[in-house]
Amino acid sequence: MRRRRWRPLLRRTLRGLAFIAVAVWSLFPILFVVHASFRPPATIFAVPPQFMVAPTTQNYVELARLWPDFFGSLINSLIITLGATALTVVASALAGWVYARRRGRLLTSSAFFMVLVRMFPPIVITLPLFPAVNAAGLSDTHLVLVLLYAAFFVSLGTWIMKAFVDQVPREFEEAAEVDGASLFQMLRHVIVPLVIPGMIAAAVFIFIFAWNEFLFAFVFTTTRARTAPLIISEMLGSVTGVDWGPVFAAATIQLVPVLLFVVLLQRHLVAGLTAGGVKG
Amino acid sequence: MRARPIHYLLVSPAQLLLVVTIFVPSLWVGWLSLHEASFGTEARYVGFANYTRLAADPYFWRAFLNTVVIVNVIVYAELLLGLGIALLFAGGLPFPRLMLAIVLAPYAISEVVVVIMWKTMFEPQVGVMQLLLAALGIPGLEWAVNPVHGLTLIVLLAVWHHLPFTFLLLYAALLGVPKELHEAAKVDGAGAWRAFLHVTLPSIMPAILVALLFRYVFAFRLFSEPWLLTQGGPARMTEVMAVYLYKAAFRYHELGLAAATGWAMLLLSLAISVPYLRAVRRRMFADAA
Repeated sequence: MRRRRWRPLLRRTLRGLAFIAVAVWSLFPILFVVHASFRPPATIFAVPPQFMVAPTTQNYVELARLWPDFFGSLINSLIITLGATALTVVASALAGWVYARRRGRLLTSSAFFMVLVRMFPPIVITLPLFPAVNAAGLSDTHLVLVLLYAAFFVSLGTWIMKAFVDQVPREFEEAAEVDGASLFQMLRHVIVPLVIPGMIAAAVFIFIFAWNEFLFAFVFTTTRARTAPLIISEMLGSVTGVDWGPVFAAATIQLVPVLLFVVLLQRHLVAGLTAGGVKG
Repeated sequence: MRARPIHYLLVSPAQLLLVVTIFVPSLWVGWLSLHEASFGTEARYVGFANYTRLAADPYFWRAFLNTVVIVNVIVYAELLLGLGIALLFAGGLPFPRLMLAIVLAPYAISEVVVVIMWKTMFEPQVGVMQLLLAALGIPGLEWAVNPVHGLTLIVLLAVWHHLPFTFLLLYAALLGVPKELHEAAKVDGAGAWRAFLHVTLPSIMPAILVALLFRYVFAFRLFSEPWLLTQGGPARMTEVMAVYLYKAAFRYHELGLAAATGWAMLLLSLAISVPYLRAVRRRMFADAA
């Protein structure tokens, strides 16, 4: 009987430690960077490590002085991210509704095609698109990245939207038809209000991806359309050696908005991943 | 209900995006792989010469081997860790919203910033992780000079970055396992381990397979992390296939060679996904009838 008493306690302690380990693993690298961005540069790589130093905004001032382009790149990132998100959500919602409601061999084949294309590696298309984009005069524009980002997430988005439309009873649509609503009025006033959570879920994924993406920004932009991740990577590649203080400041500015986004919209992220991943 | 032309019109924006930006360019790469070309020069048909050159290039095989090894390590490490955390969470979660937000946090971070984090933590001699390892009497990672250490660091940061995806799929599946199944197993006198093996695991197997498939396909594309961390160095020893492709195209201007690599990557990705695609197709067309 004595065994019974300490076992639950041991179990609780071990579980508690496991939760702490998980939290440290996930958060430590993030907090390290954010924290380092407020430390005087000389203490960042001090041995032994100094974590308790008076916070300073010196790194942010240096960032503004040495890399003024960074702030313009945040605007570029924002424009591209919002553009790609809007395009993906609209295209996905339209297609998702059709795939949820309509049947036909050709339609099903096109749905399968969407899943198939999800398997294509992104880097492969840079080979023909690099010269094509240059020839079309689209190199270094926001539009190229908007189209590319939307293309790589429209499939997941469509699957998320289909799963959400499937939850809406058909009777609602039929009632609207009886009332003489056109197809677009019905979609706008009946379907859209009911699948807003799905649209948010789809938007969360494309937003995170577009805000953070590196490869396409690296290949297709040179000056005017450079995104924040690209400028940060350029700071890392500086020939005179990396000036870590501003790098941490830039990384913090880049990551905080999207981190808040994920924390606030986590419910939609979970719903979207289960709808778009497992079932599709 | 049958689809009418208006419905094809509604799916066309999504389909056009896929066809124009992904599908046609990918097929074009197949054509390009049979030609000798550089940016700005006329392509010349050379048959399978690019493929034979690839097969004879030790750097290609090095990149191929690196990719196969690290993709497998990444995918299975994520599966084990993700399953462990999912089981921990499914067994009762204190502060559920907060804990989920913490575990999902790495998903929000850009690859570029992930590389900065791990690079500084593993900075030779002065990084916190190097100091921690030294304090524990473990030799640190010499990732800039030792290819095995370089690949280890790439694996570490890829696992950190993508664990939320695997975890979330498995956790959602675990929450979907009916409680009655567990109780039935308990009534039958099954221990925790046997219940896991015979009840939990089979119920979440579909989710495990989907998580594995997607992580295989996505890990196989790995580019930014190795590129930003080592650029494939030292001496091209830590290249993966995507880095090899990028260098062939944009550094050495060997477009045909890069295209052959790209086509190989595409076919391998499709080969990995065949069982999944077949299952999806069967379900879709059964649905369509």
